[in-house]
Amino acid sequence: MVRAIKYILLVFILLVMVFPLFWMFRVSLLPAVGSLSFDQFLSSIYTFEIYYDIFTTGKMTVYLLNSALVGITVTGGNILFCFMVGYALSRYRFIGKNFWFYSVVFVLMIPVHIIIIPLYLLIHKLGLYDTYGALILPFLVNPIGVFLIKQYIDTLPNSMEEAARIDGAGELKILFQIVMPLCKPALAVLAIQVFLTNWNSFLFPFILTGSESMRTLPVGLALYQGHQAIDWPHLMAGSTLAVIPVLLIFLLFQRQIVSGITSGAIKQ
Amino acid sequence: MTARRIIGLLFASPWIITFIIFWFFPLLYSLYLGFTDYRLMQPSYNWVGLNNFSALLSDQSFLQSLKNTLIFVVGTIPVTTATALILALLVEKNFPGRTLFRSGFFMPSITSMVVIALVFTNLYSRGGYIYLLAKILGLSPPENGLLLSDSTALYSIMAMDIWMSVGYYMLLFLAGLKSIPKELYEAAEVAGAGTWRKFRSITLPLLKPVALFIVVINTIKSFQVFVEIFVMTKGKYGTSTAVFFIYNTGLEYFEFGYASAAAYILFVIIALISLVQFRLFRQRSLW
Repeated sequence: MVRAIKYILLVFILLVMVFPLFWMFRVSLLPAVGSLSFDQFLSSIYTFEIYYDIFTTGKMTVYLLNSALVGITVTGGNILFCFMVGYALSRYRFIGKNFWFYSVVFVLMIPVHIIIIPLYLLIHKLGLYDTYGALILPFLVNPIGVFLIKQYIDTLPNSMEEAARIDGAGELKILFQIVMPLCKPALAVLAIQVFLTNWNSFLFPFILTGSESMRTLPVGLALYQGHQAIDWPHLMAGSTLAVIPVLLIFLLFQRQIVSGITSGAIKQ
Repeated sequence: MTARRIIGLLFASPWIITFIIFWFFPLLYSLYLGFTDYRLMQPSYNWVGLNNFSALLSDQSFLQSLKNTLIFVVGTIPVTTATALILALLVEKNFPGRTLFRSGFFMPSITSMVVIALVFTNLYSRGGYIYLLAKILGLSPPENGLLLSDSTALYSIMAMDIWMSVGYYMLLFLAGLKSIPKELYEAAEVAGAGTWRKFRSITLPLLKPVALFIVVINTIKSFQVFVEIFVMTKGKYGTSTAVFFIYNTGLEYFEFGYASAAAYILFVIIALISLVQFRLFRQRSLW
């Protein structure tokens, strides 16, 4: 009895949690119309018209390509740079090492709203406003990633590195051929987290670009203007396209996503 | 040995460069701007001392945005935290379908905020099922939709935020629950403790560090609420928050100095409240 009640409760909560996304998909299958009513939701009209429209005429494809390009570049950059920096902070001794480590922790804690205005001005002065550079360069190394990798390398024994060093292997070879393979689990967690964050990111892509051709998908969706009233089927189709990669990554890499979220929390 | 030191510095340089250019410099630059009257379309700007700060403290729209932010923070965090804990307790034990429920609860929190905000704009409008549900339940929602009225807009956005983030905090609570040694519960059972007693004396106290972490990060995050406000109401209908004010002043009206000062005031508020939270949670009597 208690068990049945628990299941009913859980199913109810599950419906509350996933139904909005289901609704989003349903609306995207409606033909383009003025206003939307609940009756249409229940109707038997299903069409992929909007998706066809998006991929053949709309600007949404540009947004999608921008998001993919920026997302992949930033993720690649983070894998390489967070790994290098994390390794340096874990294994090497150099001038100001502690200071640089504290700078990572410091940036982790400060609220990002504080750099909205100065970063906007700086990007303008660097001549990067409304370019891919503005969407990529500030985000190539992120403090969470550096922290994650450093903590991970701290737990690895360095006997293999020492052995390789005695054998005369160079530092770069040790870094990429010995340590990097050992860090694969942590790098996977990092890559997934960075890609998802970047794919979903709105604030900085929004303030650092101006023209329509530079918009990423979230920016394009947020600023999407219908001809007259809000064009819900188009908006929801674009939203669905934004959610599909997230859903796929979630289904494939759930374990890494969960460990990325919880590993940070437990250490605090 | 010195060669190794240089190599270390070289490997760390991507962060060092990023930190200096994109964090350290902007932080100082914005602090400096806060003391100037820098705005667009003005060839030169002057040092104005504390003028911006004192003007802000009597600027009704800034104070209102701070008040809205505070309502947002105080209204969402207790509900989010409590709901997340309940969800975690519901899906903690192994039972058929557990993964499905966990995944379903968690799914909204990794979806783009823009997407969620758009979907809920639809749901809160007159054709959306939440609006209809409110009508059926006799709550007499505003004529034009939940987001187009001063009395409901902010609360509707808060409800959406709770819905979206509970799954994320549920995961953190689950990790916390997992770290509690099973022996403690066994010992308590031997001593004759019931379910409530075990929850009260073992689960809750041992979850305290996780709960503190959740409240602190959620506070920092919630004080910066912006995207959903921008997408759903553009700060109208009494939903302007502090970061929305900063965005609006700085990047719509291009009052860079004034907006920077506002950003620093918010920064100080967040820092102080985080400190207070750490202090409060350290006292045992709270639990």
